[in-house]
Amino acid sequence: MSKRKVQNDHMPSGECVTQLQTILRKRLCHQQLPEKLEGVEAQHKHLLELLKQTAIHGESNSVLIIGPRGAGKTTLLKCVLRHLLEEKEVQKNLLQVHLNGLLQTDDRIALKEITRQLNLENVVGDKVFGSFAENLAFLLEALKKGDRSSSRPVLFVLDEFDLFAHHKNQTLLYNLFDVSQSAQAPIAVVGVTCRLDVLELLEKRVKSRFSHRQIHLLSSLTFAQYLERVRAQLSLLDDFPETKFAQNWNAGIETLCEDKSVKEVLQRHYNSSKDFRSVHMLLMSCLSRVSVAKPAIKPVDLLEASRLCLADAKANMLHGLSILELCLIIAMKHLNDIYEGEPFNLQMVHNEFKKFLQRKSNSMYNFDQPVVMKAFEHLQQLELIRPVDGSSAKTQREYQLMRLMLDHSQIMEALQKYPQCPTDVQQWAMSAFG
Amino acid sequence: TPRHATPSIPSRSLPARQPGNVLEEARIRLHVSSVPESLPCREQEFQDIYSFVESKIIDGTGGCMYISGVPGTGKTATVHEVMRCLQHAADVDEIPPFTFIEINGMKMTDPHQAYVQILQKLTGHKATADHAASLLEKRFSNPAPRKESTVLLVDELDLLWTRKQNVMYNLFDWPTRRHARLVVLTIANTMDLPERIMINRVASRLGLTRMSFQPYSFKQLQQIIMSRLNKVKAFEEDALQLVSRKVAALSGDARRCLDICRRATEICEHSAAERSATGLVGMSHVMEALNEMFSSSYITAVKCASVHEQLFLRAVIAEFRRLGLEEATFQQVFVQHQALCRVEGLQPIGVSEGLAVCQRLGACRLLLLEPSRLGVLQRVRLNVSQDDVLYALKAD
Repeated sequence: MSKRKVQNDHMPSGECVTQLQTILRKRLCHQQLPEKLEGVEAQHKHLLELLKQTAIHGESNSVLIIGPRGAGKTTLLKCVLRHLLEEKEVQKNLLQVHLNGLLQTDDRIALKEITRQLNLENVVGDKVFGSFAENLAFLLEALKKGDRSSSRPVLFVLDEFDLFAHHKNQTLLYNLFDVSQSAQAPIAVVGVTCRLDVLELLEKRVKSRFSHRQIHLLSSLTFAQYLERVRAQLSLLDDFPETKFAQNWNAGIETLCEDKSVKEVLQRHYNSSKDFRSVHMLLMSCLSRVSVAKPAIKPVDLLEASRLCLADAKANMLHGLSILELCLIIAMKHLNDIYEGEPFNLQMVHNEFKKFLQRKSNSMYNFDQPVVMKAFEHLQQLELIRPVDGSSAKTQREYQLMRLMLDHSQIMEALQKYPQCPTDVQQWAMSAFG
Repeated sequence: TPRHATPSIPSRSLPARQPGNVLEEARIRLHVSSVPESLPCREQEFQDIYSFVESKIIDGTGGCMYISGVPGTGKTATVHEVMRCLQHAADVDEIPPFTFIEINGMKMTDPHQAYVQILQKLTGHKATADHAASLLEKRFSNPAPRKESTVLLVDELDLLWTRKQNVMYNLFDWPTRRHARLVVLTIANTMDLPERIMINRVASRLGLTRMSFQPYSFKQLQQIIMSRLNKVKAFEEDALQLVSRKVAALSGDARRCLDICRRATEICEHSAAERSATGLVGMSHVMEALNEMFSSSYITAVKCASVHEQLFLRAVIAEFRRLGLEEATFQQVFVQHQALCRVEGLQPIGVSEGLAVCQRLGACRLLLLEPSRLGVLQRVRLNVSQDDVLYALKAD
């Protein structure tokens, strides 16, 4: 044992970095459950008590967890379930059914999935027998036969709850809520959704049967707390085998979070969204720059990663265009300026472009109509311009009305950075009118 | 074997825990599922339905009745209670025996499944919808010795609507046959359903025996809770009154009332754990429960949004004011957003980031958006009132 410890103390730094990468990647990419939740203690307690009532006392309940994307709804639910299943009594009794609105796109599939997960008697192997109607009747009959004190409680988790509300007649929701409101087998229905107006989607009889318990996950995180969480996400815990390395790493993270430019970057991200998933993306690209040669995250890495995250996608696309395509875009910009956002067609753009060429003595860009047309089509394929109405077949391509899908700031920014942009083109873009 | 499977949920290893104290007892009594023996405040309706069905059974004739009312006013519960009483009367030989069956439009996948379920409940046979229809037709039109009366309850009638309305037609036509001895009770939400969706020959067969359940008044709601609690002393008088007044003002839905009371009991339970209070559910607990279940969360959502999200909402309002319309394209709003950024001294954001902000607000439905493929041309509308947004932004 002691020998192994000695070996561990001298773990080569390459191995340390690999370990570090695995631990942090698990945290950032695989949505590893945290040890304890921060900032949502009240919600956690509410949900835990509610599910306990179902699991232990056999009381039927329904609840909706609502919060913006990336606010930790599923994490909350998973943490609650983990706590709940720690109790022996619950572990033996609770049946779980997990449904997702994206997978179970109609009631027929959802019902099969429920039957399969509950392992009812009409399941043989992995297959569910009987028609849709029979399945529904069978499930309802099974639930009806149960009663509060003797049958095992069932937990239904409906992820993407709002999609279930779009099913025909909302049959599944009606039946689940109806069971939860009548003296049948005890069930708890937990819906998870990001829509605040989800109750307006429900039909009135379904809504009447829902118990109107809602758990809102709206984070009121301050920037200091935000910074603290970033630090916690990156820090290594005490159980890291190589203590020396861990200490160094944590000290490095500490100084990183104190750094002024890092704080500025994080503040910018915080201003744009409090959602933690986007920060994970940012930290991931920092983490991938950590190697044996450079076993620490430097402020420069974070700045670079942030630059990548915030880069404007359309402006990047403009960098890859040819000069002709760029000229057409500029002509469109001028048309937009003159005619205040009215749609245009290829002829108008080409005319505008020709006006520019006339003023130039050297006709370096004097392209034929088919070439211009090709460039125009390429722009359409990139969806930098789009037809006003969808019916493309009726009108000839030259006369089809189009709209520009770019903001002027994007065009100007792209022109600044365009590699070796001809000066006259740049001047033409700058000038007020074509 | 699946053909003869008996549906059941596995039973638990330990029976469920019994309630330990007054509050837990109250919670169980307040659960919507624990329907009391006799429903308070529905005596008149009970009497009407009872005498209607009783007379039909005694005469050996058939008939239809249409019952309407908003959800949660005790329609189905009253009919069930009537049936329980009649069943009891039949057991002691006061009236001839009858069979009671029940179908629910929401609990079947297709209107034609009604035939299958009726047949199965009458005879226990399984058949396809067409076959079941012809079997039922035969059963109700031919005379048979020692035929019992049948009472059929059809819940959620509006779901049985088909384009040719043959399911509804059959349901209302069978009782008119001489030998059918069928009483059909139908339940739906809207009062004018027969006039609205049924064609004339269906509506005329349904007849004019109608009954509508009014929403509960606050006194009735109070009485319902009192009768549920039945001497379990868990609530303060004022607290009960507040709940019933609030619910009666909003919808008169008894389910909602009971759910709020249950939540209030829960809140009381948790707060009692911290400091040993009186143990009664008081005004403050009820207020908290009401707030939780009635308040809209839009304002909190706006308050908790990030800086740029809030700024974007302000930009939307500013653009609406400028245009005098309730709709603007993303491009127009973005110009306002950039201006607001400059005013606030924030670093302006790029178009991609602005679109992401806009999408996030759209995902939680603070904004209504067109499909995101339209990019900067997509139109933006507010899903909340401007006043709410301004209030939320001003409060901090």
